[in-house]
Amino acid sequence: MEQENYKIKAVNLLRSRICDPKFIFINESPESNHSKLKFMISSSVTEACNNSILLLGPRGSGKNAVLELVIQDLLQEYPDSISVMRLNGLLHSDDISAFKEIARQLCMEHQLLFSKAASFDDNSQFMVAMLKECGLAHKTIIFVLDEFDLFAQGKQRLLYSLLDAMQSITSQAVVLGISCRLDADQLLEKRVRSRFSHRKLLFLPPSIEDSQKLLMHMLTLPIDPSFPQDYAVEFNRKVQNIIEDRGFLETLNKYLNVDSSVKHLLRFLFCAVSRMELQTGFLSRENFEIAFSSIQRQPKLECLRNCSILELQILVCMKRLEVKEQNLCNFNSVMKEYKSTLTSERYARHVCLRAFEHLIHRELICFTDNRGQSLSVEFRPVKLLISSAELHQGLRANNSCPPKLLNLMDREG
Amino acid sequence: MPVIAAKRTLRSHPSSPPRKSPRRCTAATPNSTPTKNRLGGADENQADPAAVKPKWNPKDGEQLKRAKMALHLSTAPSSVVCREEEQNMVLEFCKGCVEHQKAGSLYICGCPGTGKSLSMEKVKDKLLNWAKEEGLPLPDVLSVNCTTLTNTSDIFTKQILGLNQTQGKKVSALPLQQLQNMYSQKSSVKNMTLIVADELDYLITKDRAVLHDLFMLTTFPFSRCILIGVANAIDLADRFLPRLTSLNCKPIVVNFRAYSKDQILKILEERLNEFPYSVFQQQALELCARKVAATSGDMRNALCICGSAIEMLEAEIRESACNLNTSLEEISSSRQNFATAPDFMKKREFDTVKTDHMARALSKTYRSPVVDTIQSLPHHQQIVLCSSMKHFRGAKKDAILGELYKSYVGVCKSCLIPPAGILEFSNMCRVLNDQGLIKLGQSREDKLRRVSPKIDEGDITFALQGIRFFQNCL
Repeated sequence: MEQENYKIKAVNLLRSRICDPKFIFINESPESNHSKLKFMISSSVTEACNNSILLLGPRGSGKNAVLELVIQDLLQEYPDSISVMRLNGLLHSDDISAFKEIARQLCMEHQLLFSKAASFDDNSQFMVAMLKECGLAHKTIIFVLDEFDLFAQGKQRLLYSLLDAMQSITSQAVVLGISCRLDADQLLEKRVRSRFSHRKLLFLPPSIEDSQKLLMHMLTLPIDPSFPQDYAVEFNRKVQNIIEDRGFLETLNKYLNVDSSVKHLLRFLFCAVSRMELQTGFLSRENFEIAFSSIQRQPKLECLRNCSILELQILVCMKRLEVKEQNLCNFNSVMKEYKSTLTSERYARHVCLRAFEHLIHRELICFTDNRGQSLSVEFRPVKLLISSAELHQGLRANNSCPPKLLNLMDREG
Repeated sequence: MPVIAAKRTLRSHPSSPPRKSPRRCTAATPNSTPTKNRLGGADENQADPAAVKPKWNPKDGEQLKRAKMALHLSTAPSSVVCREEEQNMVLEFCKGCVEHQKAGSLYICGCPGTGKSLSMEKVKDKLLNWAKEEGLPLPDVLSVNCTTLTNTSDIFTKQILGLNQTQGKKVSALPLQQLQNMYSQKSSVKNMTLIVADELDYLITKDRAVLHDLFMLTTFPFSRCILIGVANAIDLADRFLPRLTSLNCKPIVVNFRAYSKDQILKILEERLNEFPYSVFQQQALELCARKVAATSGDMRNALCICGSAIEMLEAEIRESACNLNTSLEEISSSRQNFATAPDFMKKREFDTVKTDHMARALSKTYRSPVVDTIQSLPHHQQIVLCSSMKHFRGAKKDAILGELYKSYVGVCKSCLIPPAGILEFSNMCRVLNDQGLIKLGQSREDKLRRVSPKIDEGDITFALQGIRFFQNCL
């Protein structure tokens, strides 16, 4: 029974690491974004000056995670000198709700009474007055604007008010914009852009070597009394062998060549760790291969695998029409091709029409325009949405596909 | 003994010094007497401190903080340099209106960061001082930032509140009508009202009624308001208020041109003159002034870049302190090298911000992150960008996703690597669209979405030319 306990504990430890940003992103080297961001904000707090910083990077590269870690560290170092206001562009993209949310968070932070009936003017003046009071009390307010490019739509009153208040001598604030758009500062209006200090932190995906180091960091067990010594040593040796394996590196490169962000890598690790064999208690290469193939899905191929023979025949006829430079077709032209191609075992027209409608529902084919809603299905132009290679793979993967249809497709290709 | 002293010096550096109170800065500003620098006197004053000033110690936290404070945006200088002519024009206009008790309107335009609002603050103070000296009734001053108005017509409400004339008036009338009625008849009030409307273009509506009515208030026979509008567009009065010309009440236009290289250099030196040490090399300030004047002429940019350059020096000192700590441990272990420690420390002295610090700060501000991002994209996303560039190289401006996928498969086949599936290709295009590298339209069906490029072909070529894989494709 104790044997099962530490194996389950190992799986839980690896899973919790994958979900913990602190384990992934803390990097104490001076070149890391964590150290740069912490230095910028802490110098703003200690030197009583205002700052505006923009964190740019693709989705999944750790912008929000690193910022939360930095804010946690700063709240421990300066517990009475920092207030954090968090806004999100998806929730507060219009100026009225943004100012109301700032007023609500300021009231909650300083134990004041928040009034829902306050107007836009009251909320904006309240924000400016609170910035002044906090500045005189040597307190820094950190504004986190997530999805910063969504705040840059419209008249940008929030950004103008924030950055204009930061120009005065009494306020102490840091405005942090987080965006995945590289041109987020180009979206700003010219007077907002003039007031924004152009400090940017670029979050780039890690290289292949850094990804391998991260793998070792994530998957090795600690050598301490929580695990049996020989089990932990053997586990780490097996993980080392897996990571140095050439086949595994090829799979990892194939996976990261499409998307090399940290979140994508963590998803791969989570799938692999979730399939760890609890009998042996060790990770194996098969876990990673199965994780890779399960993530690499082709939904249209799976759709084709479940098609009936008649539906496959209709798709092949549409592909033949497409090869004849006839991009647009309707049910009648498909039926004409169907009759001329398949000389035996033909189905009735109304049965073919029902199969045709099934293909439309599965979105393997679609109508080219929505204006002819009143027309019958037989006369509306349709378009094939899968490529020749996909159709070819689908025919071969289908168990009930007749060999004649496959030969017809081979001859066509 | 010098080793122990060095360790004490290094330990005192990371400790954060006590914070300077913003209240002192607030108190210091109104007490300081504005000094007018004549051109000849300014030259003499600038020459002498440069020769006499000692070099500063960047390791001293107090000096570092004061240097940053001198360059911060919020530190308003005692006198606005390089805008004397514009201030005098506005001041003479306001003096004439106050002296002759007649209304007038003025329009101030210029790019952001050229000192318009700061000059208006100085003009207000000078006008009040002048009226006090001359014994004239002090004008009321009303400052409105039009971005804070919820409705454009709220500016009339603020104007009435500024006048404190609510007694005996009909509450049901609109604020604009109240103002028009007040200015149509003679009243016993003698004070003029100076209205500074900042960010005036936020009052522009479809019918331009608010802006037109605001300027028309100055044409009433008993009007007592002096209106100063501040905005960025040079032709705002011509484009949005053409009727004012025919009604003979067009406002006078004062243009704040973008700062030139010499003006930026002069403003930076004026700010640094209040600091008793020399912080910057002269060539570094010259480089900053030339670069900022060439791009935008924005003084906020110049101040931020100088602040970044100081931080570059600060980061270099921190990195050198870590290396020096390691070296000192090695030195203390072997006492034979004891005598070389003072010489070793002298070589590492940092005194001023040099041109390489300024060059790094400038490139950090002005460089686009596109090339770095393209170089760090995963491999297949780079192939997608490369194939899209080849696809759009002809006369085509956009394509659908299916066509781009065919081009992508062609590039993969020519390079003998297996292509990704259509679903992965679509996901990669969405990632590139999120980062702003391509533009992806909206469609219900994935393959029919429209794709168009958003970055320059030269950027893609420059970013990918170092990779051997792409030399055949480009």
